[in-house]
Amino acid sequence: MGTLSEDSVLRNSIKARLIATVVLSQVLLATGLILVGIFYTKRGLRQAFDAALHGRAMSVAALVRYPEDNQSGLIFDKSLVPTSLDSEHPDLWEVGLSDGSVFDHSSNWPAGLAMKPDGRSYWNFVWDGRPYRALLLRDVPILDQEQPKPISSPTLTLVYAATTSEMQAQLRIAGMSIAAASLFLLAATVLLAVVGIRRGLAPLQDLAARAAAVSTRNWEFQPSDAAIQTAELIPLTSAMQTMLAGLHRSFAQQREFLGNAAHELKTPVAILKSTLQSLLQKPRTSGEYQAGLQQALEDMDRLERLLQWMLRLTRAEQWAAGALRRDLQLVEVSNTCIEAMERLRPLADSRHINVELSTDGAICLRADPEDLALIWVNLLENAIRHSPEGGKIDVTLNHDHRPCALVCFEDRGSGIAASELPHVFERFHRGDPSRSRETGGFGLGLAIAKALAEAYGGTIRATSTVGQGTRMTVELPMDPTCP
Amino acid sequence: MRVLVVEDERRLAENIAKSLRESGGYAVDVATDGEDGLFMAESNPYDVILLDLMLPHIDGFQLLQRFRGSGHRAPVLVLTAREEKESVVALLNAGADDYLTKPFDLGELLARTKALIRRDKGQPSPLITFNDLEINTVERAVRRCGSVVSLTAMEYRVLEYLAHRPGAVVSKTELLEHLYDYNWEKFSNVIEVYISGLRRKLDDGSSQQLIHTIRGHGYALRG
Repeated sequence: MGTLSEDSVLRNSIKARLIATVVLSQVLLATGLILVGIFYTKRGLRQAFDAALHGRAMSVAALVRYPEDNQSGLIFDKSLVPTSLDSEHPDLWEVGLSDGSVFDHSSNWPAGLAMKPDGRSYWNFVWDGRPYRALLLRDVPILDQEQPKPISSPTLTLVYAATTSEMQAQLRIAGMSIAAASLFLLAATVLLAVVGIRRGLAPLQDLAARAAAVSTRNWEFQPSDAAIQTAELIPLTSAMQTMLAGLHRSFAQQREFLGNAAHELKTPVAILKSTLQSLLQKPRTSGEYQAGLQQALEDMDRLERLLQWMLRLTRAEQWAAGALRRDLQLVEVSNTCIEAMERLRPLADSRHINVELSTDGAICLRADPEDLALIWVNLLENAIRHSPEGGKIDVTLNHDHRPCALVCFEDRGSGIAASELPHVFERFHRGDPSRSRETGGFGLGLAIAKALAEAYGGTIRATSTVGQGTRMTVELPMDPTCP
Repeated sequence: MRVLVVEDERRLAENIAKSLRESGGYAVDVATDGEDGLFMAESNPYDVILLDLMLPHIDGFQLLQRFRGSGHRAPVLVLTAREEKESVVALLNAGADDYLTKPFDLGELLARTKALIRRDKGQPSPLITFNDLEINTVERAVRRCGSVVSLTAMEYRVLEYLAHRPGAVVSKTELLEHLYDYNWEKFSNVIEVYISGLRRKLDDGSSQQLIHTIRGHGYALRG
């Protein structure tokens, strides 16, 4: 972990990424809310301000009237103008006639101020260091209801301006309130999101902790209920369980094999050692030494044979697992059977056992002939060892109209108990649990046959009837290019 | 002393037997399967039994249980290829007296066998002294009054057996049973030959006779 910088830890952490995403989206949302809030507040305030401006302008306009004595001309009573919105910064107003003549204006009316931009009834300007908003009203009729208006009665042009500093202060307050509320909500949601994400990721962390607790000593992997019930974690937990079970199984197999192998190796080593030690126990004649060394050599041979078998088995299994590759050739199966029978003829003859081969035509496979011969040798040797003296063994070869070659070895021996059958192909298995060395072998022959058959994509199975005999059937896929 | 070796690995059994005969001066019988082993163990008075665990027919553990179950007392030294504590504990609890894991050292096997015999006979020291007689069971050397007495292998066997039970009367049959293995013809008169040989070599020229004949009963080593 020392090589991971803080930065990459954050970038590679799901939690950090989720939290960052949530915070970012919340910040965006809050910003949007603040902007929209300020925009609408500003609009509302301005509308209210404009309405007030309009009302005041109209009330100024209402002060223009025809004199009561029906004299021509208009009068304007300045004293009735309503007080300003902001008493410190009085409103500005000017009343004129539509013909352009100024009728009257507020006392503070700034002379020479450009007040009439084109086409707009509302506009802003700055005066006396203050922001002002002005309203221009044109063609305002003179609101004098007492007399019918003369046809060509003049209309009024009115400019009314008031300082907006009050409105802007309100806007500032409103904006700050909105921002404060949004930020508070932002903080709350981020907090909630962090807590939620932590909670949500808890099953993952729990799973990781439990997975970390699995070791070669402790294969127990029990994911928590939360992890089992989390939809996203279900594939992961089940994959882990499957993987661990597989690993455990193969680990146990390896350990068992190693244990068995070590156990099996001990006996030949013990023999060799005892032979040499007994040779050294007292002075001997050179003839005795020679005989002793000869014996030691024989003991050595046995050890070597066991090692070779073990290596062969390992290689067959590696090959089956795809770890080894080799070139295959088209092989006529019956030839390899004959080869195996020839190799075992001395053993069969010594027990007067008759091995018969029957085949219904040529069957070829793509294989290494030595591998096939080895499968047959192991099965046949097993059959011979379990046959009674003078017995008969049938080797049958056919393809049964299937894309598979079937090779059967049938003996008429004592058979194998049903409880034993599943174990006959296990490494170092011998029929009798405290096996008989009289029948020889190391209990590896059938395991090698099975490993080899499986390496060719085939299967091997045993059926047996106690008292009648055993039948071993090998099924190997035929090469489609075979004639 | 007579030892039974129950070991299905014929070569190993032969090597053990040879070593016990040559270096221990024991009579050795070999059984190569559990059934024979149990039968022999129960029908002969062995002084120690060396038992392999992986045996055909009856495995070593069952043999041990049945042997102890029928009340036999002979010490049993188990030869095992398994080193796990559990299996060793189970063995000892089933009545084994000691164990050795394969591959073992023949010298150690011999020493443990001797130790088991000594303990069984109530002679904890490898050096047996009786009056002025001194028997070193490790070197198989005998001295009387400090001077070496040279005995034949069979004379030594007889003396060692008697010396393990000083004072007790040992019958001729018992001697035959403990000093000979299956393959020997058993003639009771050969015992008399060994006894007279022992007497000549040990007692002649000495004021005190050690080897006594108790007529009708047997022999005894007495002061």
